[in-house]
Amino acid sequence: MAELVVWPGWIAGAAIGVYLALQYYLTGKPLGCSSGYGNLCGVVTRTPFFRRGEFESRTSWRLWFTLGLPLGGAIGVLSSGGAIEPSFHMGALYESVLPESLALRAVYLVAGGVLIGLGARMAGGCQSGHAINGLSLLNPPSLLASAGFFVGGVVAVQALFGWLG
Amino acid sequence: MKIAFLPLGALFGFLLSRGGATTYDFYAKLFLFQDPQLFWVIAAAVLVGAPLVQLLRRFEVRALFSGKPIEFQPKPMKRGLFAGAVMLGVGWGLAAACPGTVLTMLGEGKLAGLFTVAGIVLGTWLYGAWQDHRGAEPNAGLAAETRTEGR
Repeated sequence: MAELVVWPGWIAGAAIGVYLALQYYLTGKPLGCSSGYGNLCGVVTRTPFFRRGEFESRTSWRLWFTLGLPLGGAIGVLSSGGAIEPSFHMGALYESVLPESLALRAVYLVAGGVLIGLGARMAGGCQSGHAINGLSLLNPPSLLASAGFFVGGVVAVQALFGWLG
Repeated sequence: MKIAFLPLGALFGFLLSRGGATTYDFYAKLFLFQDPQLFWVIAAAVLVGAPLVQLLRRFEVRALFSGKPIEFQPKPMKRGLFAGAVMLGVGWGLAAACPGTVLTMLGEGKLAGLFTVAGIVLGTWLYGAWQDHRGAEPNAGLAAETRTEGR
């Protein structure tokens, strides 16, 4: 895997805080990542839910944002002096507990993804929309959601590494 | 101006990458309380973001591209919010990704995210199908919130 340059957390975080305000100032739209998956559902399915309300406009700005993210990842690798080397490897810690079989891992990751997608819509947003954006707006429901994200993450990872590690 | 979100998404993805949010190990270390890297990313983002957002609100700054008021829409409380948040958290820890970082990881060549993305799309769709089944309006709460905020 390519060696990534990683900044100290508080520096990258501060830059993301500035980004949040910059996006608001330039576009007037809030930071958020999970709603874009709803716009994608509107494009690839005929499910009515994804054709009305907040998903009415299927050629949403959110889809452009969604396409930009992998571009940013690629720039992150290339500007680290590395090359993009596609791999299913998941880093030393997860590799130490997850099954080696790609098929089993696919089932595991799809299941994890379903929890992420369903949970994000039930909560009304994800780590970027609720935690970074919502907490910056000092919004109480976003504080509750952020607490829930951390509770879920701690329980899942402690279980994963406690039972298998 | 929608296409402006392509470079904006790239900038945000780049910052996620530099923050370590696309590195699997940092997820495990966060929730095992071994390395607070990702905690500091979120905490610093809020500590810096909150006062800047307050300034934009205080001075009723208009969006540069559209000239329209900025859409500050605090997400409403709704039934199932906490349960959904915990579910998302469990998936976050298991898959070592969240909806934004997993796409950024794909750009870095971290292909495990392909399965996670498929799951997120499926989970999102399941919610919509469930809401259609219940006959619910999407984000009725958010629409109401927007009306009361409307200015």
